[in-house]
Amino acid sequence: MIRGRWLALAALSGLLLASGMQGRYDSTVNYFGDRNAFVSLPSGKTLRVLSFGYRNLAADLLFIWSIQFYSTYNITNRFDFLERIYNAITDITPNYREPYLIGSLIMVLEANDVPMALRLLEKGSRQNPGEWIFDNDAGYYCYKYLKDYPRAERYYNQAAAKPGAPDFLKRMKAHLVYMSDDPQTAYRMWLDLYRNASSVLEKDSARNHLYQIKAENDLPQLQAKVEEFRQRFRRYPASLAELAAAGFIRAVPSDFYGNEYLYDPLLGKVTARRTFRWKKH
Amino acid sequence: MKPSIKGIAINTFRESARNKMFYLLVFFGILFALSSKLVSFLTLGDAMKVLKDTGLAAINFFCVLIAIFTGINLVYKEIEKKTVFNILSKPVSRDEFIIGKFLGLALTMLTALGAMAVIFFAFIALSGGGFDPGIALYFFMLFLELLIIVALSLLFSSFTTPILSFIFTVSLYLIGQIMWTYNEFRAFITVPLWRKFTQVLYYLLPNLSKFNIKNDVVMGVAFQPWTILFSVLYALAYVLALLALTILIFRRREFQ
Repeated sequence: MIRGRWLALAALSGLLLASGMQGRYDSTVNYFGDRNAFVSLPSGKTLRVLSFGYRNLAADLLFIWSIQFYSTYNITNRFDFLERIYNAITDITPNYREPYLIGSLIMVLEANDVPMALRLLEKGSRQNPGEWIFDNDAGYYCYKYLKDYPRAERYYNQAAAKPGAPDFLKRMKAHLVYMSDDPQTAYRMWLDLYRNASSVLEKDSARNHLYQIKAENDLPQLQAKVEEFRQRFRRYPASLAELAAAGFIRAVPSDFYGNEYLYDPLLGKVTARRTFRWKKH
Repeated sequence: MKPSIKGIAINTFRESARNKMFYLLVFFGILFALSSKLVSFLTLGDAMKVLKDTGLAAINFFCVLIAIFTGINLVYKEIEKKTVFNILSKPVSRDEFIIGKFLGLALTMLTALGAMAVIFFAFIALSGGGFDPGIALYFFMLFLELLIIVALSLLFSSFTTPILSFIFTVSLYLIGQIMWTYNEFRAFITVPLWRKFTQVLYYLLPNLSKFNIKNDVVMGVAFQPWTILFSVLYALAYVLALLALTILIFRRREFQ
């Protein structure tokens, strides 16, 4: 019979040898270098069947795994499977909100693929007709990244029409009409929001937009009248009041806050006191 | 209830409750349900949803294991250890023996599920969630599902070995969970004979997917009262059929 001390020695030697081999193995593998990932993922419908009644759990695990996967930046081809992974998760549990929202965020910010994000969000909206958040996010991505204001406006329209949609969606919609260069409609919409505002924030937002739209409408007209004055009298008017007294304008217009526009008689330049540079981002 | 059935039921419950495997599975069920908190830390967004999903899945999984493991052994062990002779030599019929065994197993499942449910509700409350009646409804539906599983394992246990009983019960459990796919796939079955055959199988095999409402409960889906009522009646009818079949087989069984 083998003595106990020999057995203990054998166990210790075995462990030491195994540790040494693990070290040698590690030296052959570049854990942190660029690497490719091969993802073999069955379709969402198949996974739904294979989950054998644990479909929420399957979707949760796949979603959590995807978060870790897309946080591993050294996997160079990780975006190749992005749409398939999030389509699979959302096929397993079509009512699970987070995969649509987080998935589209990854598509936009990490993969720089806004159309892919819009496809996922449109799917979310189709699967959950009562939810406004998917159209809201789609509208935002169109607005922010594609600068496609009419399309963004359509998404916001859909979102605002859904039950429980927050008030800011109406403001966003009106803002997008303004951004789409339709000042008259935008002015009407903002005036309506201004008159029916239920909060200070809403009222301020509406007032600022009305100010900007009015200024963008008034200033070119005033500037044209100043130019007419200069052509007739070979000098700029001393003030806007002189422009009115000479009959070029009926009265000195005021901005939406009730103040007169600023006028520089040396340069003949009419400007607004405030400028909101929404169109310059 | 007849005293003989009651006696067998209570003894079955005691025997199951003394089983180390029972405690081990209940312990792991609770442990996994509570460890759902760790999983919820890894997600983004609604952590409570993940916590409920994982916790309910753990309870479901371990309750099914308890039902299968206790069910497949009970009758077989009585026959193997020849204790069945002692019982049947008394004024206890074979029918009463099976019914008593089933009721004892049902009581065991009720205790295990009840313990897990109470701990899970307390855990949800401690994690900041409120009482969700939908989850209570799910536990009730799970209990009905467990009754069918127990009846199935009892049926197989009455005529075959525990290993085969385990394979049969697990297979039927898995099939029962994906029975909903039949309604999606039947349109693709064009041969009339196959269509008839699959239809017969669909109605014959246990359809357990209807009891699995945990996914919908967590997503806040509303249930029709009729759907729940028909599920309850289905479970009762199916258990009745399985018990009748078990009794029929057990009556013909010859002990050596």
